[in-house]
Amino acid sequence: MKGFANLVRPYMVWIFGGIVIPMLLIVLYAFTKHGNSVMAFQFTLDNFIKFFDPVFVKVLMKSFEVAVVTTLLCILLGYPIAYIIANVNEKIQTLLLLLITMPMWINMLVRTYSWISILSDKGLINGFLVYLNLSPIKMMYTDFAVILGMVYNFLPFMILSIYTALAKMDKAIIHASYDLGANRTQTFLRVVFPLSLSGVISGITLVFLPAVSTFVIPKFLGGGQYMLIGNLIENQFITVGEWNFGSAISMIMAAIIMFSMYMTRRFDRDIEETSKGGGVVW
Amino acid sequence: MKKLILGVALVLLTLSGCTTKEKETLKVFNWGVYIDETVISDFEDKYNVNVIYDNYDSNESMYTKLQSGEKYDILIPTDWMVERLISENKLQKIDLSKIPNVANVDEGLLDRSFDPQNQYSVPYFWGNIGIIYNKNNVDAADLEDGWLLLNNPKYKDQIYIYDSERDVFMIAEKALGYSVNTTDEAEINAAYELLKEINATTAPVYAVEDLIDAMVNEQKDIAVSFSGDAAYILSQNENMAFFVPEEGTNIWMDSMVIPADAQNVDLAHKWMDFMLDEAVALRNTEYVGYTSPVVSAYQAVVAPGGMYEGIEAYVPRLDNPLDESYNYDAQLKAKLADLWIRVKAQ
Repeated sequence: MKGFANLVRPYMVWIFGGIVIPMLLIVLYAFTKHGNSVMAFQFTLDNFIKFFDPVFVKVLMKSFEVAVVTTLLCILLGYPIAYIIANVNEKIQTLLLLLITMPMWINMLVRTYSWISILSDKGLINGFLVYLNLSPIKMMYTDFAVILGMVYNFLPFMILSIYTALAKMDKAIIHASYDLGANRTQTFLRVVFPLSLSGVISGITLVFLPAVSTFVIPKFLGGGQYMLIGNLIENQFITVGEWNFGSAISMIMAAIIMFSMYMTRRFDRDIEETSKGGGVVW
Repeated sequence: MKKLILGVALVLLTLSGCTTKEKETLKVFNWGVYIDETVISDFEDKYNVNVIYDNYDSNESMYTKLQSGEKYDILIPTDWMVERLISENKLQKIDLSKIPNVANVDEGLLDRSFDPQNQYSVPYFWGNIGIIYNKNNVDAADLEDGWLLLNNPKYKDQIYIYDSERDVFMIAEKALGYSVNTTDEAEINAAYELLKEINATTAPVYAVEDLIDAMVNEQKDIAVSFSGDAAYILSQNENMAFFVPEEGTNIWMDSMVIPADAQNVDLAHKWMDFMLDEAVALRNTEYVGYTSPVVSAYQAVVAPGGMYEGIEAYVPRLDNPLDESYNYDAQLKAKLADLWIRVKAQ
């Protein structure tokens, strides 16, 4: 057994080199000023103070707004899909799951790019509308396009995690519910849905986190004027060359994300505690 | 544990064995869609070498990549970035005697202020910035407004502007009659206010890469564009035209340079010479649409029957005293970048 313990070492090296050191560098940059030479650092809080400018706070609020809407839409769309998949016979389940994951085989950039040709002013949809003698709709570079792009990209994560929770559910509990006289709606609302909540919550984490920090989707579908927090960070590193300010924004972002993860986990634990005795399998 | 070390050593040995057997390699870092790729394979065949060719989409992202420690043998930055790299000792002097084809280059494009006597750079492409418009949808009379065409409420939602702080501030500064290199607070602020106004009036889309395709497909009626992209767009779509406002614009030049830490300096010189070869330059400019510094290539494409015959965008004007190139000024650049984010985040 001792020999196996050694196997953990490469992972330690990996975690240290790939996560711990970069994180420390970000912290160092965030609290220092002047350029990229770490050697001559001067400590400062200016980068954080700079962030609390109404312009940047507005960008942060907007990012959260977009991410929350995206997450809600993913739940509304993802739950019924996951429920349907979990309730069909096993062969069809495999097929449907394959269909859900299949788009992910194609690079996300390519998929997002193709939305441009579908949504643009003279694109597929508007071409069709004009063909029907309807007036074209402006879709590109709007909230609609960005949120659509996000929902499209992140929906599979929601479906799969809800599906996992539903599929693992002990069918005997549902039968018991029927035996005790509950009808289908009651069974769903009082038994199935509460038991699947942990799937919904891990789905929320999987969707909300990338949605709040993505910069590719808003850049492509929203244009350069569609500033979300991810774009702001990218901009500071790539265009402005202000690594210090960029790091400070990343840190603020990380703190907010950690806080929201902590809250969801607490919420998750509460649910598990209240539903104990329900024979939760995981 | 010993076995593990042995295994790692073996892997390393085989890897290093591979590299010694390989051909010489030249690492080139250039703008996206900025070369006829067959030119690269011709270079590889001619000198029996491998070319590793990477793209960037802005001078800034190129610089960031260099900062991260990436090494290249050839870069193709814009004049002000060349100036910056020289001032930071990041380039090495080139040996012009190894680049006989420099004789093919238009003399007016050599010995420019960003690199006197071409100690560090040789030209690759050059051009200016203007406005592409759809002749069917834009009223010719509105062009009289010059850059302020972008502030005409008639064209709300119909405008693309490059998402690059230096270029957008150039537009506002020229519209207001200032220099593109002004450091005067009041002038910069006035330009900032104008940009906010344009943002509010016409809600332009700030784009980079999708602009060329979008204009060829007439997605929008107006786009701020580099002359070379305009030449390409005009050659693809007859409804498009190009004009450069009389109030002045930015004249720029992208040049080939060799970084101080280049691994293959000799081959880099061969690359420079190859790109300035008359036949190669002709193919390259035909494909890309940007203006070649090689006289014969330039003349061939604008001559009757040439690919860009009659396309005015291919011929950047040199007679307007209001046209300027950008100086490199770190503080100014940071200030403009910060203001530009504020415009976009409105």
